Amino acid sequence: MPAQRPWQLGGQILEGALLGRRDDGGGAGAGVRALEPFGARPGARFCLAPGVLSLPARSGIRGPARPGGSQPCRRFLSVSAMPAVLGFEGSANKIGVGVVRDGAVLANPRRTYVTPPGTGFLPGDTARHHRAVILDLLQEALTEAGLTSQDIDCIAYTKGPGMGAPLVSVAVVARTVAQLWNKPLLGVNHCIGHIEMGRLITGATSPTVLYVSGGNTQVIAYSEHRYRIFGETIDIAVGNCLDRFARVLKISNDPSPGYNIEQMAKRGKKLVELPYTVKGMDVSFSGILSFIEDVAQRMLATGECTPEDLCFSLQETVFAMLVEITERAMAHCGSQEALIVGGVGCNLRLQEMMETMCQERGARLFATDERFCIDNGAMIAQAGWEMFRAGHRTPLSDSGITQRYRTDEVEVTWRD
Amino acid sequence: MQAPDRDEAGEGSEAEAAGGESSGSREGDDASGVGGQGAEGEAAGAPQAGQGPQALGPGGDAAPAPVAAASRLLEFTLTVPFRSPLEADMARRSLAPHAQRHGGVVHKELAVNGSALAVRWTAEDPVFFRISINSFLDQLSLVIRNIRGFGTPPPRSLGPGKRS
Repeated sequence: MPAQRPWQLGGQILEGALLGRRDDGGGAGAGVRALEPFGARPGARFCLAPGVLSLPARSGIRGPARPGGSQPCRRFLSVSAMPAVLGFEGSANKIGVGVVRDGAVLANPRRTYVTPPGTGFLPGDTARHHRAVILDLLQEALTEAGLTSQDIDCIAYTKGPGMGAPLVSVAVVARTVAQLWNKPLLGVNHCIGHIEMGRLITGATSPTVLYVSGGNTQVIAYSEHRYRIFGETIDIAVGNCLDRFARVLKISNDPSPGYNIEQMAKRGKKLVELPYTVKGMDVSFSGILSFIEDVAQRMLATGECTPEDLCFSLQETVFAMLVEITERAMAHCGSQEALIVGGVGCNLRLQEMMETMCQERGARLFATDERFCIDNGAMIAQAGWEMFRAGHRTPLSDSGITQRYRTDEVEVTWRD
Repeated sequence: MQAPDRDEAGEGSEAEAAGGESSGSREGDDASGVGGQGAEGEAAGAPQAGQGPQALGPGGDAAPAPVAAASRLLEFTLTVPFRSPLEADMARRSLAPHAQRHGGVVHKELAVNGSALAVRWTAEDPVFFRISINSFLDQLSLVIRNIRGFGTPPPRSLGPGKRS
């Protein structure tokens, strides 16, 4: 726990941000990917930490509501000048509780439900894990932030998308806490949580977003008060493809199967040709998974390749597909910024490939580290902070969860 | 803890362990619709399958009773005492948004009677019936721990967002 709050440390926080850590517990402070892993690559365009600690340009007094806007601006006048929002996230196997106040992450503890090698996480077991730790996490977040219930202005929680039972477990606590402390409640779209945290941490203004995780794979760009989906997977998410391949090889799920695949891929020497499935703006991974599951046993048995070679080949193939559809979206939008969010966004090889593409286009790439790439409570708090200031509220009677919640269903009234 | 169906006794004891103070509704002695209907439901549906008295066959074994064409309706009623009506209502509001999660296959009603939360399930499918009850008990346990761990609720007279 830091002795001083991040915004009080000024430029010194840059050193803390570059250290980072891979264990659970996002911690307070900046989470921008350091430049060092990419060496002295010329023209590398990464957003560095100094811009993070100042109040983002998005904060401050909002202009008047657009004609026909769904949220009256008058409500903004009754909101605290520096609202603190508590966010609950638990849509998959990570459960996190975060506190954000006016662009600063005050706390972000997290726990991960890790299953044995060769297995995945099931909804009931995951929900049981979340129920067992969420109240301790809540107390930990308040303690780390140095706040009490009276200091919190709003309770945000993940409304969806995600796994049903874990979402319900988290929503129940959010509703109870909102009633206990007499605070307004906000249901947040998980995907938008990733985007808003990415924007906050990196300072990207209007990027083309590549959102890649175990549950979602989308290319998103903002337009006319919606985060529009320009391209996506037509079957399984890229992270799901990686996770399920990890099960085939019995790769450990600690800290995550994707991370362990990444480490093994670094030792790969041979590229095994896999199906490359880009369909216009969309991608498909289920066929690649079926193919590699089939060839893995045969090729490993005959010694044609090693598990490291397969990890390397899978990464190179699926990441190239993602780079292609991102570039296509950037060309369509005329965008000069790309932002990677989601758990798979932690992958350094993916960042490297995206950076190459951006460099060739004269564009800038933004990415965050594992504290904010991986599902966390602070991202829900940050999206909730934006929504709260824009006047959004979720009545208790409407505070259910939904496993299918499209990114473009939300009217983004907090952006121009 | 009383349950109209013999399979539900285990779940009933789980609720008691989780809440520490739960009991099944058996008598329609309160003003709530849940409790009153529960008594009727229990009396009529334990189980409600039209099973008449069994007659002995020639060998002394029970002859199969005529089964009515109507499907079997399962019912379970749960009453959970809280420290105050406010807490009971808080629990209801926390748990109510998931009242119809099983697409109408299981019908669940929540109501507050004084300081107690009363819940009644009715369903024809025993699998979804059991899943719904178990799931609710898990969430109920979490809500109770949450309420006890994070303080007493502020007075209702304050509006949202205002500090006590």
